[in-house]
Amino acid sequence: MSSYILKKSCTRSSLILSQNAALKFPLIAHLFSSLSQSQDANSTSAYNFLEKNTAGFPLFSHVRSKIPSGSRWKFVPSEFVRLFSSQAAVEPSTSDGLTVEGIINKQWPILGESESDWKSHASSIAQSVHLIKKRLQWKKLKVRLGILSAQLEKPDLWDDPVHAGKISREHGSLLGKMKEVNSIEQELLEHIDMIKLAREENDQELESESIKALLTMRKGVKEKELEALLAGEHDSSSCFIEVQAGAGGTESMDWAAMVIKMYEVWAQQRGYKVTVVDEMPGEMAGIKRATIKVDGQYAFGYAKAEVGVHRLVRISPFDSGKRRHTSFAAVAVIPILGDGSSRVQINESDLRIERMRAGGAGGQHVNTTESAVRITHIPTGISASCQNERSQHQNMASAMSVLQSRLDQLEMARQAQMNSRHTQSLTDISWGNQIRTFVLHPYRMVKDLRTNYEVSDPDSVLEGDLDGFILSFLSAHWIKRKTSCNLS
Amino acid sequence: MKLSLTRTSLSSILAPLLCNSHPSHRPISSLSVSHRPTSLTPETTPLFLRPPTSSASLSDLLKFRNWAETLSSSAGASFSAQDNGPDTHLLLRELTWLLEDALENPKTLAYCNPSAVSNDLLVSLRTDLEELYTLWKQRIDERRPFQYIVGCEHWRDLVLGVREGVLIPRPETEQVVELVSDAIKGNDELGDGLWADLGTGSGAIAIGIARILRDRGMVIATDLSPVAVEVASFNVQRYNLQDKVVIRQGSWFGPLKEAEGDLVGIVSNPPYIPTEHINGLQAEVKHEPRLALDGGTDGIGDLLYLCNGAVSMLKPGGFFAFETNGEKQCKFLLDYMETKVKGSFNDINIVSDFAGIQRFVTGFRTR
Repeated sequence: MSSYILKKSCTRSSLILSQNAALKFPLIAHLFSSLSQSQDANSTSAYNFLEKNTAGFPLFSHVRSKIPSGSRWKFVPSEFVRLFSSQAAVEPSTSDGLTVEGIINKQWPILGESESDWKSHASSIAQSVHLIKKRLQWKKLKVRLGILSAQLEKPDLWDDPVHAGKISREHGSLLGKMKEVNSIEQELLEHIDMIKLAREENDQELESESIKALLTMRKGVKEKELEALLAGEHDSSSCFIEVQAGAGGTESMDWAAMVIKMYEVWAQQRGYKVTVVDEMPGEMAGIKRATIKVDGQYAFGYAKAEVGVHRLVRISPFDSGKRRHTSFAAVAVIPILGDGSSRVQINESDLRIERMRAGGAGGQHVNTTESAVRITHIPTGISASCQNERSQHQNMASAMSVLQSRLDQLEMARQAQMNSRHTQSLTDISWGNQIRTFVLHPYRMVKDLRTNYEVSDPDSVLEGDLDGFILSFLSAHWIKRKTSCNLS
Repeated sequence: MKLSLTRTSLSSILAPLLCNSHPSHRPISSLSVSHRPTSLTPETTPLFLRPPTSSASLSDLLKFRNWAETLSSSAGASFSAQDNGPDTHLLLRELTWLLEDALENPKTLAYCNPSAVSNDLLVSLRTDLEELYTLWKQRIDERRPFQYIVGCEHWRDLVLGVREGVLIPRPETEQVVELVSDAIKGNDELGDGLWADLGTGSGAIAIGIARILRDRGMVIATDLSPVAVEVASFNVQRYNLQDKVVIRQGSWFGPLKEAEGDLVGIVSNPPYIPTEHINGLQAEVKHEPRLALDGGTDGIGDLLYLCNGAVSMLKPGGFFAFETNGEKQCKFLLDYMETKVKGSFNDINIVSDFAGIQRFVTGFRTR
């Protein structure tokens, strides 16, 4: 917190120094006025720092060479930083007083990322920051941080090292979150200052560079916004994604295969590890059902936005009459709980293990690479199977992990019901629960029926470009949840 | 009593030897026998372990895949109708695995978009493209088992090298390791003792058991076939179990004379298919060594021999697990143990495999 104020003042002073020398004195005086409270030892280092700023405008050239923010003031001694931490937070702003909140209030239209309009980028970033802050419960976070800081100051804190460790860890984590948001705001305002400056000086190179930097920032912050939405209990888990073809034979099985492929590519592009666990092919083409495992942080948090029925309208390649068909595929997403979570204990005696598609005498009579197994949990009737591994043992392990996750999910749903929280159960996807429509004919469109988010390029979505849909759902979902919380 | 047992043993010892000289024995096996016994030649090294010395353009590789897919689609239906062989779906999965083993970086193929492939992208291969064509032709035209094509079989959590002349371990047999695991649970004498895997083939059971035994536990694995001894040794070395598994060439208990009465466990998947069924076997199985499959007239000869041998070879309290042809052999063996060698074994059990077929007979040597 303190560092950003410091940085802000410095950037601002440097900019003003270059623009209008007359203004530099009050600012430096302001800095000095706070310094004057400090001890002698500190003021020396602080003075050095100021000297560096004023002498020969080194800062301006630094800015122009585009050193990322945050790295510029590494030399500031910590004593100096602490000095500012006791000060009331000054709302960061640009040289002409524009704050992040101010940007939001201006309601600049947010255009596509490809539009090279800085106002649109800035507006998008500000919106993201706003959402992140809301998600973090910003005001509460600041209060909590104050309480923790006070506790850390207590001289007897470390008498209880366990407690102290807890306090200090929480403090560190909250402070980290706060600093991250502050530095985003800071960077945004710096870029705006730079653009304005570039325009005043008619420096097109600087302007386009700064707009580019703003765009990079916009993308990064969008990602952070998404992560901020993922604070559900199991959001950070890996998950299984299951797709099942609806009625309609080959056409809908082909659609189910397209859907599972879409998730495979999406997950792959996000850097997740993807493995096909279970796959039941259709007779002619496509799949009846398939399960993939998506390994990595927040896989469940993102993928849960996809739960429901996905509808496709197109001219079926399987219809010789070239008629328009509508098919459905249901998607379920199951979190894979970590060992830390309370997982359902499975008794081995409750399991029935069957070899699938085992024909004939078996044993030495048969040479096959097929070693699929189905494991059924007898008390619940829930079963899982896997055939894509190369040994029976691995198929069994894989099926077992699916079964475990299904039972965990069942238990979660049961508990949620017990707590009478109205969470949507992932297990019962009713075919009426349509969430998204893909139309390939007579026009081209993909539309999410929950958020009304739509794009006109189905191919890109089918090639895994799902983040827009996921983000809009998560945002909407979160706001809805937030509102219902406030009402109750 | 003991004398009569020995007499039975002698005649049974000859049985597998006789099988070896059977006229219908595939020439390919005798070819393999002549290989130097110490190390595997490049051709017999499992594909996935070979260095990536070749390369092909991605588009050529996709061409191969398309060709192989078409070949598999037309063949699959007839194989499954013919002799319950692999269907199209299974063949296509094998094709994926072949490419998985052949490519240095299998992901290049799994997630590439065929419509947007740059033609000149080179892919590193562990064998050349031409060989891939040959291998897949063998798979379809000759019904050469997939495991021989890639030179390995995934079994439990192991990847075992296999080749012509050695039986490809079956998924059912994985359960033998499970049975041993249950037996040694809470029984340190078994966990730390000396085990025997008779007719070890690729060494699958021996290696599987060696990995679950306690620190002092050991396995002696025997096989009559020199190819099996060679392949098993290769696999033991690959899992770095030379200190825990000893491979010996010889018939059944033959190489184990000095261990008589000291074994805490005997496991075996002996040949158990009745001779009259051999000709009707699935085409892929006919590529496998008859020595490992043909169990004589009613298929039970070797099992009875092992059962008799176990009486003298096992320590009191020692455990045995034998794989059989199914319900008939299981019941016969159970009855034999309860009547003919009455009092020698206790807690005799028939265990079914996951397909519900009574497959294994287990029990303990009476103390």
